[in-house]
Amino acid sequence: MPASSVSDGLVVLGAKDLTKSFGGIRAVDHLDLTLARGELRCLIGPNGAGKSTLFGLLSGLHRPDAGQIVFKDEDITNLKPFQRVRRGLCQKFQTTRIYRALTVAQNLVIADRTPRSSRRKNGRLSWALSTLGLDSEGEVPAGELSHSHQQWLEICLALATEPDLLLLDEPTAGMTPEETELTAQFVVNLNRQGLTVLVVEHDMAFVRYIAQRITVLHYGRIFTEGSLGEIESNHEVRRIYLGER
Amino acid sequence: MSLGYVVSLLYQYVDTLAFLLLAALGLMIILGVVNVINLAHGELIMMGAYIATLTYNRAHLPLPVCMVLSSIGVGLFGMLLERFVIRRFYDDKLGALVATWGVSLILSQGTLLVFGPSMQSVPLPAWTFSYGDYSFGGYRLVLFVIAIAAVLIAWWIFYYTRLGVRTRATMQNADMARALGVDTRHIYLLTFGAGSALAGLTGALYAPTTTIVPLMGSQFVDVAFITVVIGGGSNPIVGALTSAALLSLIATPLSSTLGTFSGRIGLLIAALVVIRFLPRGISGYFQDVRYRHMARVAS
Amino acid sequence: MAREYTGFWRVLNGPQEIGRGPVFWCLFAFLALGLLAYPFFGSVFALSNLANFCLYIPMGLGLALLWGYNGVLSFGQGAFFAIAGYVYGIIAGNLLDIPGGTLLAAVGGIAASAAIAAAFGYLVFYGQVSNWIIPLLLLVLSLILETFMAQTAGYQWRVGSVLLGGYNGMTNVPSLEIGSANFGGASIAFYYLVVALMLITYLGLRLLVNSHYGHVVVGIRDDVERTRMLGYNVALIQIQVFVVAAALAGLSGILYVSWGNYINPSSMGLLAATLPVIWTAVGGRSSLLAVLLSTVTLRWVADTLAVRGGEYAFLVMGILLLVTMLFFPAGIVVTLARRWLHQKSMYRDLKQNGAP
Repeated sequence: MPASSVSDGLVVLGAKDLTKSFGGIRAVDHLDLTLARGELRCLIGPNGAGKSTLFGLLSGLHRPDAGQIVFKDEDITNLKPFQRVRRGLCQKFQTTRIYRALTVAQNLVIADRTPRSSRRKNGRLSWALSTLGLDSEGEVPAGELSHSHQQWLEICLALATEPDLLLLDEPTAGMTPEETELTAQFVVNLNRQGLTVLVVEHDMAFVRYIAQRITVLHYGRIFTEGSLGEIESNHEVRRIYLGER
Repeated sequence: MSLGYVVSLLYQYVDTLAFLLLAALGLMIILGVVNVINLAHGELIMMGAYIATLTYNRAHLPLPVCMVLSSIGVGLFGMLLERFVIRRFYDDKLGALVATWGVSLILSQGTLLVFGPSMQSVPLPAWTFSYGDYSFGGYRLVLFVIAIAAVLIAWWIFYYTRLGVRTRATMQNADMARALGVDTRHIYLLTFGAGSALAGLTGALYAPTTTIVPLMGSQFVDVAFITVVIGGGSNPIVGALTSAALLSLIATPLSSTLGTFSGRIGLLIAALVVIRFLPRGISGYFQDVRYRHMARVAS
Repeated sequence: MAREYTGFWRVLNGPQEIGRGPVFWCLFAFLALGLLAYPFFGSVFALSNLANFCLYIPMGLGLALLWGYNGVLSFGQGAFFAIAGYVYGIIAGNLLDIPGGTLLAAVGGIAASAAIAAAFGYLVFYGQVSNWIIPLLLLVLSLILETFMAQTAGYQWRVGSVLLGGYNGMTNVPSLEIGSANFGGASIAFYYLVVALMLITYLGLRLLVNSHYGHVVVGIRDDVERTRMLGYNVALIQIQVFVVAAALAGLSGILYVSWGNYINPSSMGLLAATLPVIWTAVGGRSSLLAVLLSTVTLRWVADTLAVRGGEYAFLVMGILLLVTMLFFPAGIVVTLARRWLHQKSMYRDLKQNGAP
């Protein structure tokens, strides 16, 4: 069930004419993307459409061959990843990247960048930890968590950086349907609290649950954009996914 | 500046180039394929020098035969080293560094204990020629020829033999190579043996030019390490060649005017500066440039 | 069952170091008191020897921080040790008649090591180089420095009125003097200085590694990319840790020249560069306490070997290093400590569940 938008219309992310090639492959091709504050946007598209590359460009892992990224009215195109995180743009990766040898508590200590003296409780983070059941697993080494808990821990690490824009790259990969629904509820509630979220997902059940607005990518370009209903009834979208004539 | 002076500089350049190439090639091939740095490399070179010297002085064999024996002997030792030590550190570069440093200490101190602080050396073949005011030793030109030959042979093996194909496959993607039936452990063993044999050969070749002491390896490793750092492990042969050529270009005028120490310090500074801008060395940079070129071609 | 500590005690007893809880701290206090009381029943010779072993602890702990907690292997700690020693000798030798001259020299020596480390770190860490490049380049640096210093014999090689001394090194280096206290090698004052610095360094680093900063340092070791993506300027932090390790090595260097009044090029050479690596690897680089114990023990071993058969010292060290890396990769002390803790918890479980 699509959630209602809490967006106030202010643009938080503006990507213009982004282009990136790897070797001989044009992964992202003159792509424009705009996100309003408070939006919950889903990015879908067949494999190889350029979704992960786009995320890499937004978080700074890749340098664009051309184009510009403006985040909260600041041109961040040439900023390094850690500088973008400091400004409030944080990504959760497709393959979980957590400190496997350290405990959950230690993972969270590292992610919390606020200085001790001014460390007020990160309400959003506490809520997230208790909702996802991670607050009771503080002493467990992160590598021993179940797969879904590792995914959720990584989302919490991202939340600990107090982001204004959260990029989620396939957050439900490898999850059971129940866990997927939990994650979907969680993301919707996060967004209701005012966090702008951009999600890449393959799982249509998840997309259906959370979608306000969907952007479809194909061959590194934006194929079409629209609400869930518009996208689902779009024959062209079906074609690029299923190869129908 | 007389022509003789230019020839003398050229000679020094070629001499330094040969030294860098011979000292570093074995190390770089091992780094490129097996992905470890062997800190006992200097001691392998020392072993080659000692074997050549001992067989020459005690068994009175002709010098070239002694050198071949050195190469084979150290190559076999290298394979033993791979089998019993290196194998545990495939995924742990720093661990390999420390473990091979232990081996290095054992070899150098062991040699000191068994053979004493120095040994009677091998006489240098007296092939000299002169040009203008300068006279040059012909032996070191022979070393240059051997160095180039070594690079060419390595090139031929890498790109024109089945073994080379399998080795390159292992370098690029060991898991994939294994899935296709390549015995990567065998490749690592052979590569380590070959790299060690090269080190042994280097020691034997330079034995007539220097004093035979247990710590003689250190004069080779500082330049070998810098050559490796600048060359990068992506393509050992291209890396070794370009790195050695570049470094000799820096070192020759420096040592010629300010002395050997300035030459070496210049190399270290060059390495630090290069690494700041080309973190994966020259061969890594070439790889990146190739990818970017492909990207442009595609668009 | 984990004890719950708060505030300062929580940081001191944090997870990054073995040895926690009241039993440990009682033993620690007992040992510390023993060290402090030793001058009352030990001979001057024994005191001087023990001080000589312990002055290397800051250097060892610095490498434990750098390698064990930050994942950066350094073969350059010997170089930083000796650079500080030489610079101290130069400054102190030129300021012989000035009160506080040696203190200035000490600051200068440590600052010199720190500055060179900062420069090296800038070139290496911002480039995001592979981890094997750093130990290699530091090895080369040690080698070049040793070779350079060894050929500085002769009168033309001097700074001010201090001769560098070439292969034989710098002699007649004045001991540290603060006020009226002279910290010469055979003095009780020097012994207490070393013990104090050793305890301060250990406790200080222990607080550091358990602090938030320490957790980030460990995070960099475990996953550099992840730490970057959490908003940390990783290169800057790595430089900071590198400089701290170099400064600690420099501190040991200052203590060394104060103890022996001499320094020579072999202190910055390859063999000297190896020693901190051996202490750290054999003890267990992931634990400050293990490195502290192994440093003192191996210094004692080397000293004993030097008396009974000096040629064997480095051979033994080499064998020890190889054996440790092959069979005790986490370090001998750390492996034993873990086994003991494991036995203890197994024993406790058996008791709880009612052993037959």
